[in-house]
Amino acid sequence: MDEESLHTIQVLESTEESLRNEDSVSLKNLSNQTIHSACAIQDPGSLTIAVLVYSLSKIVERKESIKIKNWDEFVRRINSFFDLAIKALKDNRNDKYESYLIMARNSLTSISVNLKPYIQEVLRKASINKASKLYEHGISLGKTALLLGVSQWELADYTGQREQEDSDTMDTKKRAKMALEFFS
Amino acid sequence: MKALIFDSGALINLSMNGLLYILEPLKKNFPGKFLITKQVKYEVVDRPLGIQKFELGALMVRNLIDSGVIEMSSSSGISDETIEIGTKEFMQKANHSLSYKGNWMQVVSDAEMSCLALSRELGKKDVECMIAIDERTTRMLCEDPKKLTDIMSNKMHQKIKLAARNYSPKDFKFIRSTELVYVAFKKGYVNIKGKEALEALLYATKFHGSSVSFEEIEQLKKL
Repeated sequence: MDEESLHTIQVLESTEESLRNEDSVSLKNLSNQTIHSACAIQDPGSLTIAVLVYSLSKIVERKESIKIKNWDEFVRRINSFFDLAIKALKDNRNDKYESYLIMARNSLTSISVNLKPYIQEVLRKASINKASKLYEHGISLGKTALLLGVSQWELADYTGQREQEDSDTMDTKKRAKMALEFFS
Repeated sequence: MKALIFDSGALINLSMNGLLYILEPLKKNFPGKFLITKQVKYEVVDRPLGIQKFELGALMVRNLIDSGVIEMSSSSGISDETIEIGTKEFMQKANHSLSYKGNWMQVVSDAEMSCLALSRELGKKDVECMIAIDERTTRMLCEDPKKLTDIMSNKMHQKIKLAARNYSPKDFKFIRSTELVYVAFKKGYVNIKGKEALEALLYATKFHGSSVSFEEIEQLKKL
């Protein structure tokens, strides 16, 4: 088994445990751990895990206010999909691995009819959050939007708020002068 | 003859800041065209027309296309097929520039590369081009790929290798919505006047997606 798969299994196992312990901070950290793979390999699995685990962290964080009925059953169901995804990875069945992750994501929105719009919004915001992380890592805005299925309009605010460390590639005065001359 | 080629982000930025109106006087006094490719139009107009939150912004950009302030790239005599061929070539180059653990990293999208393809084709016709792009990856890949590699290596805690430098910094000229607004302000095309106006404009572009640092804004304010 390759290094990336081993790491993914580790992340999924830790996610199961953090979900059982209702540890939102740990879930948030785990969602960030797949960003490197999501950025480098851009496999659907890593991208789904990043969004899904971040969404779970938000759901756990707001568990009391959103009042999910049958919480234990919900956790058991999500974790059973993670177990299946881990098994598929160990069996080198990438197709099954990805489909179990999608089933896990779909099971989030089927928690209850009333909560469906709320959960969909959590998933959408999680996608935007992870997209902004990918952009920070150096993937272009267009490519990031494409990978996470979000619009560049949605990303504009997020990316702008991040400090653009060392992204200047030309003297500021020179670029401003060049722009002024172009319009003269 | 000149051409300003817009990537999606720069137009989205101006739209979100309510600054699209500056394009009209800029264009009126500009010896050339403001162009977008069909790939960029899809991102800025066609797709958001189906998203309620961004429908108005998309309509405002479409209005600029309808009124001729912004023109489709085909109006410059470059066919969509030529742009598509060039886009594929630039995608291939860009996505074979950086590697991580022996794998090529896919770092750019076709809309971004379509701007480079259009700029190159217009350059062949002696048209002086500039690309208005807010996102940093395309700009850095062309102007300073080593710096982009350093940022990525630092973020990923892994060595990202720069396999090939596929562009010369002289191949393309880039500005951001920040510089566009700066020019509009200096030329008196911005409706807001006063001491704080320039600072407010520059920060507004930053907070809606322009890859400009606080330090650069401070420098622009002093010019």
